Amino acid sequence: MADELYLENIDEFVTDQNRVVTYKWLSYTLGVHVNQAKQMLYDYVERKRKENSGAQLHVTYLVAGNLLQNGHMCHKVAVVREDKLEAMKSKLSTIASVHVYSIQKALLKDSSPLYNTDYDIVKTNLHNCSKFSAIHCDAAVPRMPPDIPRAQTSLQGSSQRENDTGAPSAPAVNGHGPPAAKHPSQQHKGIMGMFAAKAASKPQDTNKETKAEASGVSTASSKPPTKNNIINNFFGKAAMNKLKVNPVPEQPKEEKEVVKPSVAVAEPESSPNPVVEKPGKRTESARIQQKDRKSKTKHVDRSDNEEERDPENAKRKRKRIKQLQSDSSDEEADIPPPPTPEEEKAPSPPPVTALKTELEPATMEVSAGGRKRKRKRVLKSKMFIDEEEGCMVTEKVYESESCTDSEEEFPKPKPPAAHKQPVLPMKKEPKEERKSLKKGAAPANRANKQVSIMGFFHKK
Amino acid sequence: MFSEQVAPTAQGLLGPPSAQPPTFPRVPVLGYSDCSGPFRLGERSFGRQYAHVYAVRLAGMRPTLGNDAVLRKLSELQVGEKCCVVGTLLLQPSILQEISEEHNLVPQPPLPKYIQPSDELILEDELQRIKLEGAIDVQRLVTGTIVAVYGSEQDDGRFLVEDHCFADLPPPLPWNGPTSDRFVLLASGLGLGSGSGEALLSTQLLVDVVTGQLGAEGEQSCAAHISRVILAGNLLSQNTQSRDTINKAKYLTKKTQAASVEAVKMLDEILLQLCTSVPVDVMPGEFDPTNYTLPQQPLHRCMLPLASPYATLHLVTNPYQANLDGVRFLGTSGQNVSDIFKYSSMDDYLEILEWTLLAGHISPTAPDTLGCYPFYKSDPFILTECPHVYFCGNAPRFQSKLLQGAEGQRVLLVTVPDFSTTQTACLVNLRNLTCQPITFSGFGDEDED
Repeated sequence: MADELYLENIDEFVTDQNRVVTYKWLSYTLGVHVNQAKQMLYDYVERKRKENSGAQLHVTYLVAGNLLQNGHMCHKVAVVREDKLEAMKSKLSTIASVHVYSIQKALLKDSSPLYNTDYDIVKTNLHNCSKFSAIHCDAAVPRMPPDIPRAQTSLQGSSQRENDTGAPSAPAVNGHGPPAAKHPSQQHKGIMGMFAAKAASKPQDTNKETKAEASGVSTASSKPPTKNNIINNFFGKAAMNKLKVNPVPEQPKEEKEVVKPSVAVAEPESSPNPVVEKPGKRTESARIQQKDRKSKTKHVDRSDNEEERDPENAKRKRKRIKQLQSDSSDEEADIPPPPTPEEEKAPSPPPVTALKTELEPATMEVSAGGRKRKRKRVLKSKMFIDEEEGCMVTEKVYESESCTDSEEEFPKPKPPAAHKQPVLPMKKEPKEERKSLKKGAAPANRANKQVSIMGFFHKK
Repeated sequence: MFSEQVAPTAQGLLGPPSAQPPTFPRVPVLGYSDCSGPFRLGERSFGRQYAHVYAVRLAGMRPTLGNDAVLRKLSELQVGEKCCVVGTLLLQPSILQEISEEHNLVPQPPLPKYIQPSDELILEDELQRIKLEGAIDVQRLVTGTIVAVYGSEQDDGRFLVEDHCFADLPPPLPWNGPTSDRFVLLASGLGLGSGSGEALLSTQLLVDVVTGQLGAEGEQSCAAHISRVILAGNLLSQNTQSRDTINKAKYLTKKTQAASVEAVKMLDEILLQLCTSVPVDVMPGEFDPTNYTLPQQPLHRCMLPLASPYATLHLVTNPYQANLDGVRFLGTSGQNVSDIFKYSSMDDYLEILEWTLLAGHISPTAPDTLGCYPFYKSDPFILTECPHVYFCGNAPRFQSKLLQGAEGQRVLLVTVPDFSTTQTACLVNLRNLTCQPITFSGFGDEDED
């Protein structure tokens, strides 16, 4: 019977999933009128208590009514726990309404879980937040239809259904509005994917790293993973510093993406790897889709590779902004930044820095022993337009490893000194320099200062 | 107002689900016209001096004052003659503060009140000024008020005041109010971005009551009679101001995002929920991202991408004046009243509100102590018509009073409390010009209230 169905649903939500079930949450989840949801909750409580008087159910109620306060007849609306219900009712001179507000298994200390539940469910349903309400307003129609899909898509984030309806009509109208709005939704997935990929790849890479070091074998296999580590270093550091748009970390990031599929092709070594690649591929395809619809591109005059990468850069930039903005928010947790990237970012810098330090001595000992060991970092010259400075930037990301660990910080001290170099004009982002300088300088100083200077001259 | 009608159905939702729960249509807006035209700035040129403001203010208000007795200009005064002079009040503050600034002493901390017994009153008209003394309370009055004083000039050049009067209530407006119960919800000081969780739940409860999600059927049907919501300023909290970033080095703050960005996103979501259900007027306040000087211009709709497509969202100026369902509303976000509070001995926000109405000017202290645009053609803050509802936002507590005027004016004065601290909003019933506060609370700690 349909009636029993909702009872079962509520039962499942409360006991199995251990949720805080508010009337609003239930109304959106089951798609019913709010009043029906309230009545359903009440019914469930009654039945459950009749069946099993020891049921572990805590109920909060909403009480509203008149209260004489400060000489005024004040209308009070309060959410109270069950044990305070009667006390509140007795304080009010007239009771306007009483109904169940929420049911949960655990006793709530304060009302913030209630707020968070409601906030989350409203956030995912923002476009029809008055659908199940008891008041319907005729005047509340959006002025311009194209704005609805824009509002929808920018909010829906992970939910797919609205995107389908909204997406086709949106692109034509508002220039970069709808595609930009859609980007964040997909980019979230992309970012999550990348974070998941990165987190998964890191332990993987660590294993490969140590193996490679121990064996001293320089195969193509260990090359990308180590590069991934360094890339991850940049990426983690960048995220932690909450920097604004920085195309350079995105270069390595995307490099990792580009590399990872190739790695997958080269050698599906162990199980994490395919898992890593799948999100990578998914984000790639998502990005390629995005690229078609992207109407705003600041990058002109590129080579093929760059063309493909640069819109992605810009998109990545937007992704970055969105990601960083949500991360850099100092406000409280009711703004839900994607929790997963945060968690994954937090563990990422410590292992990243650990990796970094262990890379340093590794290169050191190898270089001391001779020039046999090849650091699998490929020197890649990337050209892109740097919006900040309005110029074309060619950048050397990694040195090929004929030299010592000084190579690592070698590219970085170089740019500040080498602005006049005609061959390879390198102008890195100042943050990038500082970051990498900081990172590279610290282990380098520990290691061998003289060596680094020599390396500088050799490089020249 | 709310509760008596709904009591019978109060417990109606404590039962098994009914088949078809009722949906109540929101009462349609009978008539709305925005009269805040004078408060919108067209071209903004700050090249003029502020003296023009006072000149037009005096010129605008002179006709309303003092017709009975002999009216003189200051330049025509003769010693010993009883006459009436109309001019602008100037409160001369004690000079200690100025001295300390000059000599770079430790600056005085911001005080709640800046009055001192040694202040003096000076009356100034178009050409001259004269010191006042006598039956006039120096502490109560603020700079910029247009006043008519009756008395005579003394030998020492001071004017001995025997009586004074203000412009008094402006002429009344015809009453076209609704015949059935209609409510307007006034709220201010939502204070988003402050990081306080308790206030957020109360804000959510407020939105839920207005949109008809909360409450039993009776309450929801009553809530359907709320025809409008006015948010009177300070939607963002003071914490979002991030003033200290100005003092920090640029490289430290370059990459951080202003706290107000997240707060505005929250505001956008809340407004979206409200706009899908009820017309909303959003006034900017002291901490909101708009210009500082009065009249504050509306928030820009690009900040509210989710809510701005809705025709029910109105971004309006501060001060705000409009005809809602035949009732004239006039109100500010509270900067004018709090400024007068600082420079006068009056302590009660309601008293100050009433006083501004009697003085015929919304904000006499602008531009002296309150930022103001340098008007030169006309002063839009002069009250030319008597509103039916006169409110100010961000007051410390809720107060309301129905004022009756000599010419049949009826004004409901409301001080709208700051929601982030009091969790209280106001419901004004347009039919009979009464006001009821509505308080929200969750449960946090163990206290009852």
